Amino acid sequence: MRQLRFRYEMRLDMDQDVWDHHFLIRCRPMETSRQAIRSFAFGIDPADVVCEVADGFGNHGYAGSVCAPHRSLAVWSTGTVCAFPRGEEGALQAMYRFPSPFTQPGENIRQFLEAACEEYSGAIASREGLEYLMNRLYGRFVYAPGTTTVRTTAAEALAGGQGVCQDYAHVFISLCRLAGVPARYAAGMMLGEGATHAWAEVWLDGLWHGYDPTNNRLVDDTYIKLTHGRDFADGTIDRGQFLGFAAQNQQILVRVEE
Amino acid sequence: MKEIVEQRESINRLMARYGVKFGIYKNNEFHEQLFPFDPLPRIIKPEEFSYLERGLTQRVDALNAFLADIYSDKKIVKDGVIPEDFIFSSKGYLPQCEGVKPPKNIYSHISGIDLVQGKDGEWYILEDNLRIPSGASYPMIARELTHQASPRTFMSNHVVDNRNYADMLREVMDAVNTGGINVVLTPGRYNAAFFEHSYLAERTGAILAMPQDLYVEGNRLYYRQYQGKQQLVGTVYRRLSDEYLDPLSFLPESLIGVPGIMDVYRSGNVALVNAPGNGVADDKGIYYFVPHMIKYYLGEDAILKNAPTYLAFYEQDRKFILKHLERLVVKDVSEVGGYGVVFGSDMTKEQLADWRRLLTEQPRRFIAQEVIDFIDLDIVEGDSRVPRKADLRAFVLSSGTTRVWPSGLTRFSRNPDSFVVNSSQGGGFKDTWVLSR
Repeated sequence: MRQLRFRYEMRLDMDQDVWDHHFLIRCRPMETSRQAIRSFAFGIDPADVVCEVADGFGNHGYAGSVCAPHRSLAVWSTGTVCAFPRGEEGALQAMYRFPSPFTQPGENIRQFLEAACEEYSGAIASREGLEYLMNRLYGRFVYAPGTTTVRTTAAEALAGGQGVCQDYAHVFISLCRLAGVPARYAAGMMLGEGATHAWAEVWLDGLWHGYDPTNNRLVDDTYIKLTHGRDFADGTIDRGQFLGFAAQNQQILVRVEE
Repeated sequence: MKEIVEQRESINRLMARYGVKFGIYKNNEFHEQLFPFDPLPRIIKPEEFSYLERGLTQRVDALNAFLADIYSDKKIVKDGVIPEDFIFSSKGYLPQCEGVKPPKNIYSHISGIDLVQGKDGEWYILEDNLRIPSGASYPMIARELTHQASPRTFMSNHVVDNRNYADMLREVMDAVNTGGINVVLTPGRYNAAFFEHSYLAERTGAILAMPQDLYVEGNRLYYRQYQGKQQLVGTVYRRLSDEYLDPLSFLPESLIGVPGIMDVYRSGNVALVNAPGNGVADDKGIYYFVPHMIKYYLGEDAILKNAPTYLAFYEQDRKFILKHLERLVVKDVSEVGGYGVVFGSDMTKEQLADWRRLLTEQPRRFIAQEVIDFIDLDIVEGDSRVPRKADLRAFVLSSGTTRVWPSGLTRFSRNPDSFVVNSSQGGGFKDTWVLSR
């Protein structure tokens, strides 16, 4: 068990005024059997009205709007979480068995799984089998920011052979579901300083186990989960829409310490 | 009757003037065309209507029970009545709606059920439309105009007045209203059914709103009036499809949605008519299971029959389809509006082979049905009457009680050889008379 202190900051700067800005921000850690929130604070500037909302995946969010013209939006959250190095309790929703928009298995994903199954002596649909699969993906996929976008699907990412944590997670989730193991996309933070992170959770033996294919390791008590869903689109940490013709620049800073 | 036939030109002219039009997209261009009205009505006798009424009410009640089950406990899946695949890999299943309890637990407030009458006299359900079924306004305005053209026709025939649709619709909107005004949300004038949106808003006394007229604040939905005044909205009869409804929940690139409306809906602070996520209950794959739903939820046998349907998903059915493809009609389960429908009888040898391969490779995507030889209805063409294939869209409204509108949209194909009657495929329509005795 670890006590983790975290700070999440998101800043959106526009080069011209924008208005009627609506947003949905999910930056409060989830309360689960794997992580308990000890303290939490949230701030946003500017904002007219902010409400707490829920969604169909069990995520919490802050929904709000800024109607008056503005050129920036700053959001932060901070707190302390007790994290445990174990699987997460819960129930399996059937939606996690089936491909979602970002995780449709292309022919390349099928072939990847077939090849992995051939070389692995045991059953792929097991904790060890999935570790082998993760290791195989890690060895054949290159971490290269800027090579993919938020719209890249699992099949496209695997075809390109490179991407970021979102792509690793999508490919891995697609492989797991194809192998008959329910899987979901998790977004959050990990120990250290940098950006937000994404990984996969798989349903085996009645628990959700975290696999982080970007770092080729199992999720332990150095991770804080903010959202989950079938893929990136379901658990996006920041979503928004505004009126205006401005170019925008988003900066995200995450810090997690023991 | 003769009078109406004689005046059909002027009725059609009046309709054109009122803007009774239908928009179609072809090659990415928007074309607005008149929806031609044929003066000869479809006539339904009282005992036949009461049979249809019982069957349609039963069907829609079961479909509503199914939707409430799917977005909560999923008992019908757990009990093995419907395979998981047909729910969770359906495009119409929206996990964003999991756990939402809509006002009065009604999902499909306005259901458009398409039927045909076979030559044997038996009615068959062709498909259920539980998302945003359109078309009620056409027989409404047709009745209005034919009444004006020939009041005598309606004095000598005992036709149930169908102009109560607006009242029925308003009752639905009021019954689920969470406190506030009723609005009809239209994506705008380039929508295929814009005429209907404005007509129904006017007739029900609801406000016709464009997406930018609505906004969310403090988990409530408001209508923006001129001079900056705001009005709380209690019911949105939205004529905007699910994926465009809320850019914060669905397609982020949607510019015609209302950001945050799903949160308001989830919190129970507004009713959405029809509920988002209904597509899981009306795709062509789930259609096969509707009689099972009726048995499962209501403990009754289905009164109205489905067309004989085979699911490529089931091996036995697939073998049957591959063997009899020439005489079947194949439908892509995810398409609507007459798209993705192909007749085996129209296929060349090569096409048949291609289809057999496609059906084997993507079995979940297709169903096949026996082609029902449904009755022709006469239409007026020049000075003569010619038979054309016609179907019936019945409108079933649910507001706690379920009622069938005593009328409906009868559509016919313009082309004498075509079985496809969808208005998006360029057909015409007739009024539907339900006789009171």
